[in-house]
Amino acid sequence: MLPNFTYVCASSEKEAIKHLASDGARIHAGGTDLLGCLRDHVFTARKIVSISKLDSLHGIRKTAEGGLRVGALATITEVARNPIIRDRYHVLAQAASEVASPQLRNQGTIGGNICQKPRCWYYRGEFHCLRKGGDQCFAAGGENQFHCIFGGDMCYIVHPSDTSPALLSLGASVQISGKRGSRTVLMEHFHIPPGQDVQKETILEPDEIVTAILLPPASPAMKSSYRKVRARQSWDFALAGTALAIQFSGATVEKARVVFSGVAPVPWRSKEVEKTITGKRLDANLAAKAAEAAVKGAEAMEKNAYKIPLLRGIVEEELIAIAKL
Amino acid sequence: MKQDEKGVYYAKDIFVTETPEPGKDPKPWGKTAVIGKSQSRIDAYERVSGTAVYPSDLSLPNMLYGAILRCPHPHAIIKKVDTSRANKMPGVLAIISAATSEADIYWSYSKDVKTKLFDPHCRFEGETIAAVAAQTPYQASDALRSIQVDYQILPYIVDEQNALESGATKVHEGGNLVKPEETYFRGDIEKGFAQADVVLEESYRTECQVHTPMEPHGCVAYWDGDLLVIHESTQGVYSVQSNVAQTLGLPLSKVRVIGHYMGGGFGSKLVAGKYTVITALLAKRTGRPVKLFLTREETYLCTGNRPPANMTLKAGVKKDGTLTALDFSVTGTGGAYPAGGTALVDWLIKDLYTCPNVSTKATDVYINTGPARPFRAPGHPQGAWALEQMMDALAEAVGIDPVQLRLKNIPSYSQAREGNPPYTTTGLKDCLEQGAQAFRWNERKKEIEGFNSSKHLRRGVGMASCLWIAGGGGPPSTIILKLFSDGSVNLNMGASDIGTGTKTVMAMVVAEELNVRTEMIQIEHADTGTTQYATPSGGSKTVPTETPAVRSAAINIKQQLLQMAADDLKTQVSTLHFNGDEIVAKNDNSIKIKISEISGLKKRGVVVGIGYRGPNPEGKVVNPFAAQFCEVEVNTKTGEVRIIDFLGANDSGRVMDRLTYDNQVYGGITMGIGFAMTEVRILDSNDTGKMLNRNWHDYKLPTALDMPPHMESLPIDLPDTEANITGAKGLGEPVTIPTAAAIANAVYHATGVRIRKTPLNPTQLSMIFSEHLKEK
Repeated sequence: MLPNFTYVCASSEKEAIKHLASDGARIHAGGTDLLGCLRDHVFTARKIVSISKLDSLHGIRKTAEGGLRVGALATITEVARNPIIRDRYHVLAQAASEVASPQLRNQGTIGGNICQKPRCWYYRGEFHCLRKGGDQCFAAGGENQFHCIFGGDMCYIVHPSDTSPALLSLGASVQISGKRGSRTVLMEHFHIPPGQDVQKETILEPDEIVTAILLPPASPAMKSSYRKVRARQSWDFALAGTALAIQFSGATVEKARVVFSGVAPVPWRSKEVEKTITGKRLDANLAAKAAEAAVKGAEAMEKNAYKIPLLRGIVEEELIAIAKL
Repeated sequence: MKQDEKGVYYAKDIFVTETPEPGKDPKPWGKTAVIGKSQSRIDAYERVSGTAVYPSDLSLPNMLYGAILRCPHPHAIIKKVDTSRANKMPGVLAIISAATSEADIYWSYSKDVKTKLFDPHCRFEGETIAAVAAQTPYQASDALRSIQVDYQILPYIVDEQNALESGATKVHEGGNLVKPEETYFRGDIEKGFAQADVVLEESYRTECQVHTPMEPHGCVAYWDGDLLVIHESTQGVYSVQSNVAQTLGLPLSKVRVIGHYMGGGFGSKLVAGKYTVITALLAKRTGRPVKLFLTREETYLCTGNRPPANMTLKAGVKKDGTLTALDFSVTGTGGAYPAGGTALVDWLIKDLYTCPNVSTKATDVYINTGPARPFRAPGHPQGAWALEQMMDALAEAVGIDPVQLRLKNIPSYSQAREGNPPYTTTGLKDCLEQGAQAFRWNERKKEIEGFNSSKHLRRGVGMASCLWIAGGGGPPSTIILKLFSDGSVNLNMGASDIGTGTKTVMAMVVAEELNVRTEMIQIEHADTGTTQYATPSGGSKTVPTETPAVRSAAINIKQQLLQMAADDLKTQVSTLHFNGDEIVAKNDNSIKIKISEISGLKKRGVVVGIGYRGPNPEGKVVNPFAAQFCEVEVNTKTGEVRIIDFLGANDSGRVMDRLTYDNQVYGGITMGIGFAMTEVRILDSNDTGKMLNRNWHDYKLPTALDMPPHMESLPIDLPDTEANITGAKGLGEPVTIPTAAAIANAVYHATGVRIRKTPLNPTQLSMIFSEHLKEK
C-alpha cells in the first residue's frame, strides 16, 4: 500500500524545482520505479511532484552540433524506435528495446531509467540495510547471486539500467536543472559508486531534475551494439551485459568504448578491454584476449562467481559479432 | 494402494453417502458429433471481456476489507501484541488476535497437528498474528502497520539439507523428522545390481517451486443470520465448506461456499486457508461482508509450494536394455508442518518402467518455511528429473536410443501397487512411438550432429516420459440435468472449473447425448447451497469423474422421454429410439413424435435427470501416460538455453475437447519450463531466514519469450472403455511431469554435460560450461 502524499503536477521546470526542494518530495515521471519503491516502503514520500506536463522535457531532436538531444521524458519505447537512434546510435536503441517489458517501456522514461533505484532484494525488502541508513549490507554474506563483481565497497548492488551503459559508451552527457541553475555532466560522472556515498546512486541533489540527455555527433565509422544476458527473456534485469561502441578502420579498432551492465554498482567502463583491442585487428584471438581482460580484477562473492565466465563469454561473443557487422 | 491419489487430492474425513449404482452401463460412444471436436469455451466471452465475476472482483454493499498481520521472522515467539493504536484509527471496525475471543479456535495443519489460529509460537515467516477489518484497504493496511508486536526471535533453520544434523535448530520439540523414513522394497536389490552390465549412480536436486496463481488466495464472507456465506477462489467448494465447518464447529448446512470463476489454483486452492476462517470471523464480529485477498507477497510465504527434492538414484541395466535394479532416496521438506515434503517423489521410480528390484527411501523434514501444498502432479516432476535423466544416461551407456530403452521396459500392470493390478489401458508405447515419429526424433538427432560441428551455439534433442498416479477419477459425483419444454437444458454440478474448461467439456457431453447445441445449455456449478457434492477439482480427475455422471444424467432423461413418448404413441418403449429432435419407432418411420411435443414434458414443464458416478473397475488401475520431446539451442559461452521446439504426446483416454486438451498440453509444458529453467525460492539462509524473492519480478515465472516458438500437442486418442462410460482419463498433470527432464536431456545431448540441478539458466550453466567445456 502507498503512503499518504500530496500530488502536484508542475507546469514549469521552475515550479517543479521549487516543489522538489520541500521536505519529503519525490519526482514522478513514468512512475514505474517510484510506485514500486513507495509500495514496498523502500522510502516514503509526502509530496509527489509530477513533471509529465513539462513540454521542454519531451521529444528527441537534433542539436546544432549534429548530435541528438533526448528529452528526459522520452519513453524507452520512443528511444528504441527513434529512426536516428536506430541508425546512428544502435547500441542505445538495442539497450532500450531490451529494457523490462513492453508495458514498462511504454511507461518508463529515459530520465527515470538512468536514475533507477537498485533492485537488490535486501534494499527492496524488509531489511534495514546500509543503503537505507542501516548499519549492515545483508548481501555481503547473504544471497548475492545477482550482485556485483566489480566496484563493490560496503554495498554490492548492481546498477539496473540497460540504457546507462549504452549512453556511457556513446559519450553522452546529462543535462540537469536545479535551484542553483543548470549543469551538464558526462554520463561517466553521473552515477556514484558506493565507496563515495553508499546512500546515493546519482549526483542529483534533491531539488535537481534530469532534463535531457545529449548525444555527441556519431561518427559514420562507429559500430555499436548492446548484449544483455538474463535469467528469463523478458521483464528481467541483466545478469551481465556489455555495450560496445567501436570505431573501425577496416578490421582495425581505432577507438573503443566498452561498458558493462549487471556487474557493478555503476555502469562499468572496461578500460582493460578498450586497451586490449585499440589499435589492433579485431579477430577471434583478440576477442578471446579481450574477454580475459574484461574479467581482470573481478571479485566474486559466494554466489555470483558465475558472472565471471558469463561476462567473459558475452564479451568474446559480442566482439566477434561486432567485427562482422 | 496406500500411497494412492486419495491422500493427495480427495477431501479427507468427510462423510459421503455411498454412490447409488448408476444402472446398466451404456455402450461407449461410437462416431461422435460433438465430443473430440474443437469447442471454444462456453464462457470464453465472459472471461475475455472481463464480465466474468471472480471472487476477487466481488463487491457487496457495506463490504469491509480485511488484512492479516504476519510474522516477519521464520521462527519467533510472540510476547505481546498491542493493538491499542490500531483500534483507534479511522475506519477500523475489528481487530482479532490471540487476545480476543477468537483465540480459542484451532487450525488443523494436518490430521494430527493443530495449533491455535493465532499461535504465539510462529514457526514460519508469514504465520498469522492478528487481523483487521476496516472500511478501506488502505485503512486496513495502515492499521496493521501500527500494531506493535514484541517478538522473541528464535534460531531458525531454512535449509532442509541440514535439518537432521546434530545441533540443528528444532522446528518442533520432537525434532525435525516429520515421520520415520518411508521405505519401499521389491525383489532383491543387490541381486539386481549384480545382474546388471552397467550400474550408474547420480545425485539430483530440484528447487522449490512456489505457488503463484494469477488470482491470489482469499474470499468474501458474510453472515446471513446463522448461515455463513463464503465466495472463495477455490478448486473445491465442498472441501472449503468442510474445513470451515470443522474449524468453527458449524453444521455443514450452515456454511455455504460459492466458487464459480477462479483465477488458478494448481493444487494450492484445494482446501480452505486460515484466511478463509479469519475472514468469516471478521464478518461475524462486524456484522458486515468482509473481503480479504492476500497480497502477492503473502501468497509467496504461506500458500504452498512444490517442495525442493534432494535425490540420489542408482540404476542397473543389462546390455540389451533390461532394467535390473533401481535404488532411490529423497530428502525433502513440507516446511514447518506436515505437508507431504516427499510425497510421491518416488512413484515413477517404482511404477513407470518394468524393474523387478526396486528400493526407495524418503526422508521428510521440518524447516521454518511456509507449509507446502499439492502442486500440479505432486512429487512427479521431481522424480522424473532424476529417473528420466538416469534413463538417458543408461541408454547412452549401453548404446541404445533413449526412446528404444523406454519401449523395452513398458509394464502392463502397476508394479508398485499391491497385487500388481493391470492398467485398464496404457498408451505409453503409442506416446513414445507416435511422439518420436511426429517429432522426427531419429532424423533430428542426426541433423543436429551436423549443426554442432565447431560452434559455440549447440543444438540438442531430448525426451522423457511419465505416468500420473491418479487421473482415473471416481465416485462420488451427482449431477442433475433439467430438460425444459423448449429442449434447452440446465446442468447442475458441484465441481469447480479451475480454468481447465470443465464447464465446456460437460456441456459437450450433454450436447452429444441429448443432441442440443451448447448455447442451449446453462450451467450452475460450484455452490454448496444449490449444487451437489463434488470432490475438489485436482488430481487430473475432474473430467473422468464428472463426465460419466453427466452422461448418466442425460441418459436418465432420455429413458424418461422414451417412456413418455411410448405413452403418447401407445406403444412399447423397446420399439422406440431417438432420431434428431424426434422419437421414432424403430421399424415404422411414420410413428413418431417431436420431443418438444411429448405431452409429459409439456405438462410438467421439465424432465429431471440424475446421474451418479459409478465405481471404477475392480482390481484395475486407471492412469494417464505421456512422452515429451524437445529441441534446444545452448550457448556454451554464456549458459543461455533457448527452447526451439516441444512436442507433448499424451494418452489421456478419449479426447473430449481438442481445444482445451491442447491448452492443457501447452500450459503443462510452460509450467515445466518454469520449473526447469527459471523458478527458484530463495531464502536468506545465513542471516535472517526470510524469503527474498516474493514478487513477480524476483521470482521468475517464464514469460512468453521463454516459450518455444513452436509447440505441438499429439493426442493418442485411445478411449478407455473399461475406465468409465465416457472413456476419458485425466490430462492436467501428466502434461507437466516430463518437461524439465526432457530439457535437461536435450542440454546434455547438445553439450555432453549432465545438469543435475535446476534451474537451467546462466546463473548455473555459465560456470558449469566454463569448467567442463574448455575450448569448444
